Formats: sequence, C-alpha cells, structure tokens
Amino acid sequence: MATTTQDSSMDATQAALLAKVQPAELQEQPLVTNNRDFNWVTDKICRIVETKTPTWWWICMAVALMTASFTGLGLLWLVSSGVGVWGLANPINWGWAIVNFVFWIGIGHAGTLISAVLCLLKQGWRTSINRAAEAMTIFAVVCAGIFPLFHVGRVWFAWWLFPIPNSNGIWPQFRSPLEWDVFAVSTYGTVSVLFWYMGMIPDLSVLRDRAVQRLKKNAYEGAGALAKGMDIFRKNFYAIFAMGWRNAGNHWRNYEMAYLILAGISTPLVLSVHTIVSFDFALAVLPGWHTTIFPPYFVAGAIFSGFGMVLTLMLPLRALYGMHDLITQRHIDNMCKICLGTGSIVGYAYIMEFFIAWYGANPYESFAFINRAFGQYWWAYVMMFSCNVFTPQLFWFKKVRQNWALVWVMSIFINVGMWFERFVITVTSLANDFLPSSWGYYSPTMVDILTFFGTFGLFSVLFLLFLRFLPLMPIAEVKFVMPAADPHGHHGDEKGDHH
Amino acid sequence: MSESYGIIASFPNTPAFFHAAEKVRDAGYKKWDTYSSFPVHGMPAAQGQPRSKVPVFTFCGGVSGFSLGLSIVWFMNAFNYPLIVGGQPFFSPVFPFPIMYELTILLSAFGTLGGMFITNLLPQHYNSLFNSDKFLEVSGDRLVIAIEARDGQYDPVATRRFLEEIGGTDIEEVSA
Amino acid sequence: MSSDTTNSKGNNVGLIALVVGIVGIVIALFGFKQGWDNGDVRPIMSWLIGIGFWLSIAIGMLFLTQIWYVFHARWPTIIRRQCEHGMAAFPYLLVLFLPLLAIPFLHENPGLLWKWMDGHNALPGHGTVGEDPLYQWKSPFLNIPFFAIRAVGIFGVFILVSGLLRRWSFNTDTTGDVNNLHNARRLSSLGLFLTSIAMTLGAIDWFKSLEYHWFSTMYGVWFFAASMRAAISALLILCVILAAKGYLKGILKQAHRYDLGCLMLTFTIFWTYISFSQYFLIYSANIPEETFWYNIREMNFDGTRNSWWWVSMGLIFGHFLTPFLCLLWYKTKVVVWRTVLVACWILAFHVLDLYWNIVPGKMVTPDHGPGYLVRQFSISPYDIAALIGIGGICIFAMCRSMKKAEPIPVRDPNILTSLNYTE
Repeated sequence: MATTTQDSSMDATQAALLAKVQPAELQEQPLVTNNRDFNWVTDKICRIVETKTPTWWWICMAVALMTASFTGLGLLWLVSSGVGVWGLANPINWGWAIVNFVFWIGIGHAGTLISAVLCLLKQGWRTSINRAAEAMTIFAVVCAGIFPLFHVGRVWFAWWLFPIPNSNGIWPQFRSPLEWDVFAVSTYGTVSVLFWYMGMIPDLSVLRDRAVQRLKKNAYEGAGALAKGMDIFRKNFYAIFAMGWRNAGNHWRNYEMAYLILAGISTPLVLSVHTIVSFDFALAVLPGWHTTIFPPYFVAGAIFSGFGMVLTLMLPLRALYGMHDLITQRHIDNMCKICLGTGSIVGYAYIMEFFIAWYGANPYESFAFINRAFGQYWWAYVMMFSCNVFTPQLFWFKKVRQNWALVWVMSIFINVGMWFERFVITVTSLANDFLPSSWGYYSPTMVDILTFFGTFGLFSVLFLLFLRFLPLMPIAEVKFVMPAADPHGHHGDEKGDHH
Repeated sequence: MSESYGIIASFPNTPAFFHAAEKVRDAGYKKWDTYSSFPVHGMPAAQGQPRSKVPVFTFCGGVSGFSLGLSIVWFMNAFNYPLIVGGQPFFSPVFPFPIMYELTILLSAFGTLGGMFITNLLPQHYNSLFNSDKFLEVSGDRLVIAIEARDGQYDPVATRRFLEEIGGTDIEEVSA
Repeated sequence: MSSDTTNSKGNNVGLIALVVGIVGIVIALFGFKQGWDNGDVRPIMSWLIGIGFWLSIAIGMLFLTQIWYVFHARWPTIIRRQCEHGMAAFPYLLVLFLPLLAIPFLHENPGLLWKWMDGHNALPGHGTVGEDPLYQWKSPFLNIPFFAIRAVGIFGVFILVSGLLRRWSFNTDTTGDVNNLHNARRLSSLGLFLTSIAMTLGAIDWFKSLEYHWFSTMYGVWFFAASMRAAISALLILCVILAAKGYLKGILKQAHRYDLGCLMLTFTIFWTYISFSQYFLIYSANIPEETFWYNIREMNFDGTRNSWWWVSMGLIFGHFLTPFLCLLWYKTKVVVWRTVLVACWILAFHVLDLYWNIVPGKMVTPDHGPGYLVRQFSISPYDIAALIGIGGICIFAMCRSMKKAEPIPVRDPNILTSLNYTE
C-alpha cells in the first residue's frame, strides 16, 4: 500500500483511487554517488582551496599568462597605431571584433542558465556545476567586453558611451542597439557578479570557520609557520566577504528568497542580453541580418555554445580533482541533452531562416543565403553546419554520452561551430551585399588573431585563480540535494532532488 | 561570571532536527534559531516565521530602475538635445524599452541583494556563537538549535531539560 | 476503471458538452454557409478563430506533456494525465477543420479565405493574385494541393504523437511497465522537434498566409507562445474544476496550482518577448514590405487610427501588463479564485490575440483604385457560436477519454512525488 498525505476533504472515491496507487520501480541515479556524507562533501570542496597548489596549476597558469599576453600585445598595438591594424575595411566594417564579442557573451549565458533558469525549473543536478559555470560567465563577460571597448578606436573616450555629461554637451543615442549593448552587458556583468557573490557567502563562511577551527587546534607541525600564516589570511579574507554569515535558519529564509528572486531576475536578463546583442544585426536592413527570429535564435545558440564550454571545463576538472561522485554521469548526460536540445532549436532557426528567405520573395535575401553556402566563405559555412547541426545529434546515443573523451572533443567542436556561425552571419552579409561592385573579402590581420586567442589565456588565468582561491562548488546547495538533507525522512532509494 | 548568550543543542539527523524545531516553536520560544550548513526544506514554516520581506526591496529597486531608464532616455534624446534618428519620433515607449528593461533588472538586483543583507541584519562579523567550538562544526555537518538568554521563557535549567527532551545532545551554554 | 461517481458525473458533462457543441457548430456552420453563398469571408473567419483557439490549447497541452517528459519533471504527473485527456481532441479537430479545407476544392472562389488560392482574386491597388510576381515566386509552396497535403500532415503529426503518448501513459495504469515511461521520454525528444515544425507550418499556412505578402521567421514561435499560454490557463481551470467537483478533490495541492501559476507568468513574459521582438524589429528597420502588416493593425490607408489600434492597446495592457503584474504576486498564484480569474482573463485575451492575427486584412476599394480598405474589428455571433461549438466537441472528446483511464496515472513511477508535492 502506498503512503500519501491525506487531505481532510477526502471521501470514499478518493480513498479508493489512492488505494490503486502503486508506482512502478524506476531506477534513477543519485546526484551524489557512493553514499557520501556531508563532511565528505565539505572536505572535498574546501580542501582544494586549503591545500598546496598542485603543479599542474602552475604549469597551466604559466601557459595561460603567456597566452593572455597576446591580448595585451594586440591591444597595445591597436591603441598605439589605430584601428587600421585590424582587417576591417569597406565593405566589411564588422569583423572578428564583433564575432568574438558575441562568441564570449554567448558562452557566458550558459552559466546564468545553469544558475538561474535551472534553479527556477527545480533541477537539483545543477548544484555541482553552477558555481564554476557562473564564474565562467563572469570571466567570459570580461573577455567579451574587451572587444566593444577597444573597437571604438579612441578608447580614452569610451566613457562617452555612458549617459554622463561631457564637455561636448551631447548624450548617447538611445535608439542604437550598440548603446543598448552597453547597458545590457554592464547589467549582465554586474548582476552575475552579485548573484555569484551572494551564492558564495555561505561557502565563504565555511572556509572561515574551518580556518578558525584549525587555528584553535593549532596543530601545525613541520612547515607550520607558512600554513598557519595562510590560515590567518584565510580567516580574515574569507571572514570579511562572508559578512558574518552564521548559517541561521532565519537567515536562510531571506537568503533563499533573495536567491529565488535573483534567479527570477537573471532569467529575463540573460534572455534580454543576447536579444539585444542580436538586435545589433536584426535591426539593420541587411539581408541575412534582418530576420525576426534572431532574438530567440541567438539566445538558444548562446546557451548551446555555453554548455559546450561548461563541458570543456568540467570534464578535465572532474578528473583532476577527483570529483566523480559530485559531477556524475547523470550530470554529463543532462548537459549533453541540453546541448542537443538547444542545438536543435538552432537547427529549427536555420530552417526557418532559410525557408522564409525564400518565402519572402526578396531576391537579395535569397541570394544572401545561397551565397553563405556557396560563395567565397563556403568553407566557414561547412564548418558551422557540421559542427552545429551534425555534431550534437551524436548526443542522442547513450554510448556517446558515456565516452567522456568523445564528449570533450565534441564540446570543443560545438564552440568552434558557434564561432563560425557568428562569423558567417557577420561577414557574408557585409561582404556580398546589394551592389556587386562593392563586394569585398575580409581577412583577419595578425593583431586580430593575437587579440582573440589571447582572450582564451585571459579567461584561463581568471578561471585558474577562481579555482585556487574560491570554493569550486556551492557546498550548501550540494548538501541540499542529498537524501540526508530531507527533513521528511531518509528514503533509501530516493533520488537526490525533491522535485 | 560572564553573561550567557544562550544554550545550544545538537541533533543527529535532519528529520530529528526539523521536528525538534517544530517543538521549540510550539513551546512558545521567540528568540531562538536553527543552524545548519544548508537550508532545510520547509524550515521557515517549522520555525513559525512569516514569508521573507526581500521582495519589497526588489520591487522598490525595480520601480526606480524603470523610472530612471524612462527619464534618462526622455531627457537626453527628446528634451535636452532632441535627435532625429531614422525618422523615428523623438520619444516613444518602443525604443527606450531595452534601456528601461536593463535598468529595472539592475536596480532590482541591487535591491534584492541589499534587501537580503538588510533583512538578515548583515554584515555582522561578530556573534557570540562563534566562540563555541561545537558551533563552528555547523559548517561541516552539525545541526544546532540555539535558544537565546534574552527570550522571555528562558531558564538555564528548564530550557536545558526541554532541549534534552526533544532529542538534543552535546548541550552547551554559550557565553556572550 | 474509474469509479461510479466520477463515471456518471463525467457522462453528464460529456453529454452536455456534446449537445452544446453540436448546437454551436450548427449555428456557426449556418454563418459559414451564408459566407460561402455571399462571398463574404467574415463568417468563415469565425470558424477559423474557433479552430485556432481550441487547436492552440490542444497543441499547448501536447507541448507541455512532451516538455514535462523531457525534463523528467515529477511534480506535474497528476496534471499530465489531464493534458493527455485534453489531447484526445486532435482527431475531432481534424474533422472540424475540413469545412475550411473544403473551400479551395468546392467553392467557385477557392481564394475566399486564403486569397492566394485563386489567381483571379483582385489585389488592393491593382492587378490580381495571378499577375502578382510575389505570388508567382511563392506558388511552389502556396498552392492548393500542397496546402492540403500539409494540413493532413500537420494534423497527422499531432494525432500520431499525442496518440502514442496517451497509449503508453494509459498502458502504465494497467501493466505498471516502466518501459512506457522510457518510450514516452524518447518520443518526446523527437516529438518536440516534429511538433514544432508541424505547428510552425500550421501557423504559416493558416494564419500568416491570410496576408500572403507578409513574412516573419518569428511567427511560428509566436504561435507556440500563445498556445502555451492558452493551454496552461485552460489546464489550470480544468484542474481547479476537477479538484472542486471532480476526481482531483484532495489530490490537487496548492503547490501544483502555484507552479501552474508560475508557468502562466513565465509564458506571459515569453509571449510578450516574442511578440515585442517581432514588432520591434519590423518597426526599427521600417521596410514597407514588412511594416504594412502592422500598419493595418493600427491605421487605415489614409493614416487615421482604426479599430485595431484599440485592440493592439488592449493586447499590450490586457494580455501582457495586467496578467504580468498580477502574477508577480505570490497571493495571486495560491488563492484559487484569483488564479482562475487570471487564467480566464488570459484565455479571453488569447481570443483577442487570434482576432488580431486573423481578421485584419487589406481589402480592395470598391473602384479597385489605389489604396485599400482595412477589415475592421468586429465580434459576430458566429464567432461566439464557433468558439462554443468547437469547444463543446473538444470537451466531449476529453470526457470520453476520461472514461478510458484512471484520473491520475496510478502506476507511474513518479506518482508519489506528485501526490505529496509541497512548495
């Protein structure tokens, strides 16, 4: 006989119906495997921050710093010589800079999706990846912001983009999507930082308390002085930012409400940011750009590429830190399925664009699409199509999802494909627009290339710093989805999340 | 003898913790709290607390952001220095929409975070409970209920006995 | 099988719905015949509005079911069964669609409703459809045989996917076979894609091609958003009625209603986003071949405001702002009469949205000179008859389905989580 809670307005019919309830058995993987307990989870995550930096970290940091210096070099070259060092020229006045901008912003969107949207959808599996994903968002926004900032040419006047009085007596032009980008990206960066920080407060308090406990015990043998010094640093550094959090029930109540609200706010925010980015293109009259489906298409594409990047980061991290019990096959499965789902939405948008380009009976629009596939940039189109449409379809197969090396390679393909998609959209419509005598060909210069590849280094530097100093996963949230956290009794075979 | 902050008691698992909180609520204590390293589902009701007031701050932030966005665009593009762009009217509710939207969200977010801090009376870097070793273990897996001395019903002996009755162990008095 | 009490109640409701449905349909068909005989398209549009409304609810329920399967959602298990009953309406809707399909094949003016179907139809300004280079370009797609095949195909997809999902879900009641759930999940992943394409084609064929010069890649997404809103609202009303008077008494919890309310809020925001984006992009680029569609929904050829201006404002303030602000508050989503009120409001404005999409059109001026007349907003009794009539049949279909399975999926693996669901 199944157990259910009975409402007072029951009568015989309902009782008879409930008597028939006899659920079939369904095996679902727990979210934290191998029956770990709370202390194991706390230790696992905190020890990454508390122990000596591993060698691989130093090596990666060195490589990342070197790569990041390319961006520094490229930007220095750009500002000192002028925008002419980039490959932009008539007719293609938007090149790698905007492609890279959209690329990085898109990657950031997965982090917010995982933190905010999956929270609203009560998907408990998000807890082991959301902190790192949010960090990825913030660092991606930093990398993205470099491009619009520097592409203005006279960077020292970039503050004119904000509605601040200036000596020329003019204001920004608010009908421009580029101006909306300024507001959207700034808001996105700020709100992501706020959300990320708020999520970290309980975990910072855990690090603080553990440092205090160790200092009280004062058991520093051997190389004690440095370890003790680090603990004193930790105690103060984490304590300041933890704001005195003491894990009180009263506090959790307000915290949970604030968390839910921030999740509820971040969801329309993430939709709006990439929508406004898509407006950069869709508000124009160029064939291939002016399509009404751009907003949700760009958002779906952003989430698609973002999850690709999450997989690219999480799979090695899992192996390096031994996180197999926290980032389980179920997590990988779900991330692959989201890639598949959003990739399919992107596919739907491709179909709609193509069809309506023909249906609209506008010869320029039809030409734009045929030109994408068969014109001078056909190779970019092939890259885009194969990586975006065919690659994620492999995720239908369980065998593929369980092969982590293959998933990792495919996640890289996804990002390559999405970069090429933005390239194809931007450059082909500009290179071959209305007047054949104006057609041209765009090639990136060394400065373009250096600046772009350097941003991967910058991203890695920031991400490595995050890994070293801040808790990689939200300890409190992971505990919340474990069976031991359920106040209504410990169901032996209950799945990790309540919903 | 130093002043007492209150008494803390630990509980072995989440269901016991949850039901003990309900009993403390029913016994009529007002100045007490539960302490756990993760939010317990349904605990606010078990503690008899009303819904959080954070949404009020969010709403204030949101309304300010919306009006700010609207005023910025109207003032700058239609009033102070009207600009003709693309044949569009000097001001219409359509094109300022992205700006208004983003500022609404930005100020709501600040409102929410600020509201969370204000309703939680944070930052509060010192609290007497931090002096207790057992309390520090809450960050690991310890589940603690603390009843403060300033509660009207507090009595060092009776409250201690009550906590034992509802299943508390490792009962400790914390000095202020 | 269901118990006696619910059976007899279900019987009664089903019978009443059938009678009301038939009466409504007869009246609407009378109007249809009038339109057919007099070459007046307006009563025929009534039929399209009625079909559009109930079809959008059924499509939304199909999407909801598939989305819930794909997300492995456990809380809506008891609600999903009601969606499955709602999806029983698809075959009936196919039959009810046939009068519209009959026009191109049986009427002397095939292009009575969809202008492009008859090359002799005059276009506003000058010329006929047959001479229109825009029509000639689109004719490989916009031709009557392909249109008919597509219509059958679209309904085929809906009937097939919903039929399989229903069959497997009902089968679990008797056999408790977990494979049904796995099959349903797998089908839903593919089904979402197929249903999206089918729905998009339907929206393009039946609504967008009413003004065949116009195009928008976003249109299918608009119809999806509108359908989801309608389905969630209808579902909420249905579940509340069943919880008050029927077999969900004591089973439907506040937490379920709250989550449905949250879904209503989400899709209100989504619908607004989609509709606004479509409008905004066309407004900003200001290209006449696209803007005319919005222009006729605001003003006449001479620039004076027409009746559609008020409907447009109604949609902004009534279909977005009011439900959005109301649904932000927690109380609205948990107090039963408030939630039901918002749901009914959304359904009413959904009808208005369908009017706004279907009815406005450019009509030829009496002297076939330059310019055009705009078909103005009107509510005709045939609209109401069609809505009630087709609705009655759909509700009858749902009641018939309710007799075929338990009120809740009693042997679904996730049934307990759903029954014990709290916020």
